[in-house]
Amino acid sequence: MSRHVKQRIVSWMALGCLLAVLCSFGMDASAQQRFPKPEFENGHTQPPTFTPAPRADFMEVVDVFVLILSLSVVTWLVLNKRSRKGVFWASIFSIFYFGFYREGCVCSVGSLQNVTLALFHTGYQIPYTVIAFFVIPLIYTLFFGRTFCAAVCPLGAIQDLVALKPYSLKSWVEKTLGLFPVVYLGLAILYAATATDFVICRYDPFIGIYRMEGSFNMLVLGAAFLLAGVFIARPYCRFFCPYGVLLNLASRVSRRHMTITPSTCIQCKLCEHSCPYGAIEKPVPAHTKEKRSGLVNNAIFLSLIIPVLILIGGYAGSLLHESLAKVNPTVRLAEQLLNEVETVDGIIPLEIEAFRSSGQSLESLYAEAAGIIQQFYIGGWILGGIVGLIFGITLARLTIYRYRKDYEPNKGRCLSCTRCMDFCPVEE
Amino acid sequence: MKMDLWKGIAILAAVFMLLVSLLTIVNYLQIQRADPIHTETINLLVDRLNQNPQDVSLRDQIRELDLLVRKAYFTNQWQVRTGAYLLLISLAVFIIAMQIVEGRKKPQPELETEETEGFLSIQKNTRRWVAVGGGVLVTTALLLTYLTHSELENRFELAAQGKPEVEKQLPAKDSVVVVQNKQADVSKQAEVVPVPEVLPNVEESKEVEKKPVEVQPKQIAENEKIEPESPKKTEPSKTISEQTLKNNFPSFRGYGGNGVSFKENLPLHWDGPSGENVLWKTEIPLHGYNSPIVWEDKVFLTGANDERQEVYCFNGNTGVLVWTAVIDNIPGSPAVSPEVTPDTGHAAPTMCTDGTHVYAIFSTGDVVALDMSGSIVWARNLGVPRNHYGHSSSLLTYEDKLLIQYDHSNEAKVMALNTQTGETLWSTARKVKVSWASPVLVNTGSQMELILNADPLVASYNPETGEELWQLKCMMGEVGPSVVYADGVVFAMNEYASLVAIQLGEQATILWEDDEFLSDVPSPVATDQYLFVATSYGVLVCYDAKTGEKYWEQEYDDGFYSSMMMNGDHIYLIDKRGITHIFKASNVFEEIAASPLGEAVYTTPAMGDKSIYIRAEKHLYRIGM
Repeated sequence: MSRHVKQRIVSWMALGCLLAVLCSFGMDASAQQRFPKPEFENGHTQPPTFTPAPRADFMEVVDVFVLILSLSVVTWLVLNKRSRKGVFWASIFSIFYFGFYREGCVCSVGSLQNVTLALFHTGYQIPYTVIAFFVIPLIYTLFFGRTFCAAVCPLGAIQDLVALKPYSLKSWVEKTLGLFPVVYLGLAILYAATATDFVICRYDPFIGIYRMEGSFNMLVLGAAFLLAGVFIARPYCRFFCPYGVLLNLASRVSRRHMTITPSTCIQCKLCEHSCPYGAIEKPVPAHTKEKRSGLVNNAIFLSLIIPVLILIGGYAGSLLHESLAKVNPTVRLAEQLLNEVETVDGIIPLEIEAFRSSGQSLESLYAEAAGIIQQFYIGGWILGGIVGLIFGITLARLTIYRYRKDYEPNKGRCLSCTRCMDFCPVEE
Repeated sequence: MKMDLWKGIAILAAVFMLLVSLLTIVNYLQIQRADPIHTETINLLVDRLNQNPQDVSLRDQIRELDLLVRKAYFTNQWQVRTGAYLLLISLAVFIIAMQIVEGRKKPQPELETEETEGFLSIQKNTRRWVAVGGGVLVTTALLLTYLTHSELENRFELAAQGKPEVEKQLPAKDSVVVVQNKQADVSKQAEVVPVPEVLPNVEESKEVEKKPVEVQPKQIAENEKIEPESPKKTEPSKTISEQTLKNNFPSFRGYGGNGVSFKENLPLHWDGPSGENVLWKTEIPLHGYNSPIVWEDKVFLTGANDERQEVYCFNGNTGVLVWTAVIDNIPGSPAVSPEVTPDTGHAAPTMCTDGTHVYAIFSTGDVVALDMSGSIVWARNLGVPRNHYGHSSSLLTYEDKLLIQYDHSNEAKVMALNTQTGETLWSTARKVKVSWASPVLVNTGSQMELILNADPLVASYNPETGEELWQLKCMMGEVGPSVVYADGVVFAMNEYASLVAIQLGEQATILWEDDEFLSDVPSPVATDQYLFVATSYGVLVCYDAKTGEKYWEQEYDDGFYSSMMMNGDHIYLIDKRGITHIFKASNVFEEIAASPLGEAVYTTPAMGDKSIYIRAEKHLYRIGM
């Protein structure tokens, strides 16, 4: 198939997708009257009140279809076409579809909480769409690297778009801050497993922008991330995204990851500063090896310190269990009632009113709250232990010497944005 | 050439974006400051309209102004929204143009640098910072734990088992010391002046003055303050005849709290703003939602806030505030007043009297008995009621007993205190939720019964012993209205629950039920034939007392918080705006009069001799001719 024909097929597919999106805008128009209108004696005509009809079920299938299609197209653009321009326009599409049209929901980043909740609470019926949004990007990443991050994730795409003057961060900053998503992932799992909250969604900085409404704080947070993103490319993806942790792990073992150069690296260094995410590993000559004795000492030290770090982390996490548990609505309500804080600014909080009308006894509420805090205690140990382990592993990896001949993308951190390819003068 | 075009687009978009941002921010700030519901000018005009409700042009002016304010508010909102869209579009254009411009720039190859040495130092440096990061995380965890840990899990576990860890915070119980003959901080304000000499009697004043006498409470300077009387010896309570109690107005909703008064020639027509038939009007020092009680020529009220609890005695003939007793330093009383909501306050329960003493209770759980000159006979704290709105059940007396409905979330009970000493004579635990209703004491033919309304029980007790006589599980929610009794039937209701008619007999049984019109605050009145229900949203309904058949319903613009009072075949009901609707107790609606007071009223009127006492928001009024 000639290149011209391929381009035409892609154009038609893109046009088809666009038409599908535009048509779907009109689908929710049918609606129904919910309450009877009040009657006014002065002849005032009440404007009609409508409640939008729920979104059609089949649209969920369409969402999954669009996700697969987008991932396939972007993967093809990254691995086959090596087209930065193509990836750029695909980002625009994702911003439009998954961002503004779908209002950032369902998103793969948040879906990991639904999956966790479903694993820990059998009563929760997780929608298949959500499972699809969680699993499909992971599968693609296992095979092709983080093409999902490249241009399909709406959170990443909007940040990629604003990365106009990105500055490289020092490696130690990148590595140290890069550990925070692990902590965030742990917290998100802990809160979802205890049915406390979906913190990723609650603190999603871009949801307010995509929905064009939200609290002032939410919009300011989104604006701050975008503003920071002009100079520090994709700050949320690199230093916060919990789903990125999973994609990072999957991408490390990906079968066919993108490469900077299509054939042999000529060491021209044109790509050296092209990656705004600091994901290009530079060549490391063989003579930079550390002394053998130093390496052995490091290895012994780390093998001892990793278990210690796990214990310290676990202990610190367990200490925090009460503070963490206070986010849980049941614990918060029980604490309010225990401390007899029954009104806030003279108004009874809705939670307390709801509790009173539920008929549940105070004793059972306290028992339930105590049980939740116990869950957080165990969760705190596990979370802290894992964070300690990750720190240990990171330290260990930083002592390992790796010989490298060419400029290569770091398979875990590379977001497959293809900027570096655009700079490579080597042709196939 | 193409690059210049994209650069130009980017610059244009940036300038446009800045302008739109600026305008949107200004609009946003305007919206934040504007509150179309609480516009100062409109509020002033509404106040003026309240004083003169017939002013049609003022009403129209308010409407026009209100429409204008709302239009401005929504236009601003529209502008902000449109601004946001424009901003978004221009931002998108700017970013795309910039991306294209930046993407086309090609970098220059860099000269060889000493990377090899850097690699190891980078590794080392990174290790150090990762370790520091870990240290920061652990330190943060320890610091947070230190700052926020409060043994919650243990406290919850103990609370779940009902152990003292929690109970230590609960209020004290009946073992509180009873203070007898404690001298209250009594400010005598007018007793020194013989009333007849100051003002002509009421009959005469009608002839002389058309305007009501407005009495301001006198502020007595420190040096003028009259020394409180020395503690009096407790005077034994005389047995007061039923007729004497009926001749007075000794408690909330009259004798027994059943909503019936036994007076003659009560006024029908008055007009507060012009002063027609308003005998006097006196400012009440502290706020309270309790209603007046009357004994002979004395009218009693309470008022309280976070810091102060006071009992007031007014001269019924002149309106002069005779004395004010400050209720403080009661053993067991909390140092800080419990949290209450503004719509209940600290002084919601109405006082009661047996003619010898007057009794008051406050949100703190402080109960006090005072003699007729304002000296404290005894005082005690019943334990701070755990009540999320504030305690509001009113008091009743029966022979030598002060009857208290004390249904709170920490403890629910009904109790009787000795009117002479304040000691507990009996106390009966109740399995009910918090109730804001007041007790009703009626003679059901065979005996006196104390009937209480709460979630989930309507229950009756023997006022002599506290023994439960009967109960029916038929109520739910946050119960506000008290029951009413007539001809062997008890009527109880609450909003979001139902209206229940309970036939008394060998066994209390439900006669009929209805759930169309329910009250959450005002209590009903009943005759042998009819039941009258008023709701806080302004509907007045008449039912057949025996069958539940609805005879009529009447809707008013303003709702009711005040409870109805029945006198003969007339029913008095005051709406929130202060208009008293007087209608016939009949199966056909017939309004006899609608008399405005000119001030908001949330309390129930007390019936005096040929006159009515009304506690409005800030003033106490005596209406009469």
